[in-house]
Amino acid sequence: MAERGEADFNDILDDWFIETLKTYKDLHVYQLEHPTQVIEWTSGKTVCVAGYSSSKNEILELQLPLKLFAEENKGLCAERDFKVVHGGFTEGPVRCLRHVPGTRCVVTNDGLTSDLQVWTVGGDDSDVIRRTGSVAGRKTRKKKSDSEGGSRIAARHSSQVLHGAQSDDIQLTQLTSGQILYTPEMTSSDPLSSLQFVSDDVFLAGCCNGNVYIADTRASASPQLSPAPPGESVPWWTDAAAGASSGSFIRVSSSGRAEISDLRNPGAAVSRAQLSVQSRRCNPGHVTVSWAPALNDCIAVSGFSGLVQIYNTSGWGAEPQEVQPLFEHRGHAVSSQSDEGDVFVTSQLWHPERPRTLLSAASDGSVHVWDWVDQSDGDR
Amino acid sequence: MMCIKQIFSRTHRLKVGQVLEAAFTSSRCFHGEQQVSRESSALPIIHHSRYVCDLPPNHRFPMGKFPRVLHFLIKDQVITEEQVWVPEIASKELLSCVHTEEYLNDFFIGKINEQEQRRTGFPWSEGIVRRCRYETGGTVLAAEVALQRGLACSTAGGTHHAFPSYGSGYCLLNDLAVAAKYLMGVSSHKRKILIVDLDVHQGDGTAFIFKEEPCVFTFSVHCGKNFPLRKQQSDLDISLDDGMEDNEYLSTVETHLPLLLETFRPDLVLYDAGVDPHWEDELGRLRLTDQGLYQRDLYVMKTVVSRGVPVAAVIGGGYSRDNDKLALRHSILHRAATQVWRDCGM
Repeated sequence: MAERGEADFNDILDDWFIETLKTYKDLHVYQLEHPTQVIEWTSGKTVCVAGYSSSKNEILELQLPLKLFAEENKGLCAERDFKVVHGGFTEGPVRCLRHVPGTRCVVTNDGLTSDLQVWTVGGDDSDVIRRTGSVAGRKTRKKKSDSEGGSRIAARHSSQVLHGAQSDDIQLTQLTSGQILYTPEMTSSDPLSSLQFVSDDVFLAGCCNGNVYIADTRASASPQLSPAPPGESVPWWTDAAAGASSGSFIRVSSSGRAEISDLRNPGAAVSRAQLSVQSRRCNPGHVTVSWAPALNDCIAVSGFSGLVQIYNTSGWGAEPQEVQPLFEHRGHAVSSQSDEGDVFVTSQLWHPERPRTLLSAASDGSVHVWDWVDQSDGDR
Repeated sequence: MMCIKQIFSRTHRLKVGQVLEAAFTSSRCFHGEQQVSRESSALPIIHHSRYVCDLPPNHRFPMGKFPRVLHFLIKDQVITEEQVWVPEIASKELLSCVHTEEYLNDFFIGKINEQEQRRTGFPWSEGIVRRCRYETGGTVLAAEVALQRGLACSTAGGTHHAFPSYGSGYCLLNDLAVAAKYLMGVSSHKRKILIVDLDVHQGDGTAFIFKEEPCVFTFSVHCGKNFPLRKQQSDLDISLDDGMEDNEYLSTVETHLPLLLETFRPDLVLYDAGVDPHWEDELGRLRLTDQGLYQRDLYVMKTVVSRGVPVAAVIGGGYSRDNDKLALRHSILHRAATQVWRDCGM
């Protein structure tokens, strides 16, 4: 019986393989020993991932298959596998991980306290990722909030890190000196689902309740509030576009309601939609919504199931219509041997320059990098 | 059999059509559209311009490679036009020796549902039906000519993932199976056919088709992690690990082929010389070089021919976004065959 099950599963994988020849320009898969909830670029060809089990976890820097990057000379590069280039161990789970631009450092948070851990990746011919510092959070959270996220983190130039677990404990810390450079004046204490720089000095604080604050680190004035869309289910996740659709930000709720606003007029909604997600299975803390840096008006949404969905938001109107994804990456769902409902995508990340290349990770430890074929227009 | 030998010897050139209408009672005839009418004592190359058909733009299958293989062989003066034999389109009757009537009927008229089409990798079209039939006809002709001349190569062929009632993995009809079944014959003294499938993907369709047939021996050397993951059982399967290079690969073939020839004693070898074990292949997970492929093909054909066994070769699989590079890689087979033809004084 087990043998037959294996044959059937292999048959499914074979069907999937033939399908991928048509739907992807490239697709490479990797299997981690333990799943990751974070994927973060540390260079043009490397990403950092880390486990989230309750005790010790691995933190790894992976090099993407070089074959992916060999454009015309694809044949010249035989390297079709991910490679672990650096590794280390953490004391606890990693719920948030950010690379500090211009350095070989990453900053993590375990989702239990608001403190951050600072790591240095490699250096001096070492292949180790080692703990080299910490940053104290503004205050210790007294109780576990609904959001599993703990502190959210955003990093910018000069080793400056913006972090906080709630809207009223956000601070900008200089990593090397430990100096606190800025704290916004906030009146409410909303648990955060994201922190993100949209320019050198302006950042967005997305709250789980759907509120979004826009603040400028140079100004002492209170941040602008874009209130949560009324009457929708919580929690919400936010992402601001930095590249192709720069100036917009999007909010997505746990029921799949999406709302786009403009940074210059954050109080109003520009467009809305009802995404085709299986909201019953939504696992807060694992939902990721992100704008494509190099593909106009496109967003990637994951965490509701074992799929990563790409939506083109350009057709959205003022009234929330049900919209269909432009593309769905089914790789994690198809190749997982667990029951269909069990595997879910824990994280997804766009390539900063390649328009249709993404990375995705799932709860079964799989990590995929894929470059999908847009089949909506006749020829690419 | 004697008649054929006389008629198709070098000094007597007759058109196949004329021969057919002549005194053949046992219907052994070449499935060629036109006979090579001029003196050609060189290596027979089987090719049809209709080995190709149109595909939707950006389709992954390298359809353009087929005419380019012939183009490069002629351009590089490896062969001349005179060596080219042109196959007939495979009839439904011929195909039915392997494929089910229901599948053939549906396939010919396009009654293949979306799920089935998806597994093949091709959207159905009349063009694809036609090109598959010509390709199969080409492999059959190559086998027939090989029986007469000792060695023949097609510029297509190797569609080994096709099963009797469905297609899979860019294969819609199983040309090797049809050729083997047809050439096996039906008389009490069946020919023994050895299928040597060195495409990097297991010849699962062929293995399945001849599972219970003692007169056809299926031998497949493939990469374990390549498609299909659901493997069939050939008479001899050698499953290789990722990344194998020239020397180890060659040793593997050298370990098994002579022994097979010795014990099975085939009357004909069908050789699938897929180039997807090449390190540049987009799908294959091995690391052969051009030189490795050449040595492999040279070894296989020479070993078989020097035992007095005829061999018909097909190009098998190869995947690349550069059709010219790929076609050149496929033409390694014909270059090696030309070398064998010379070395063995054929």
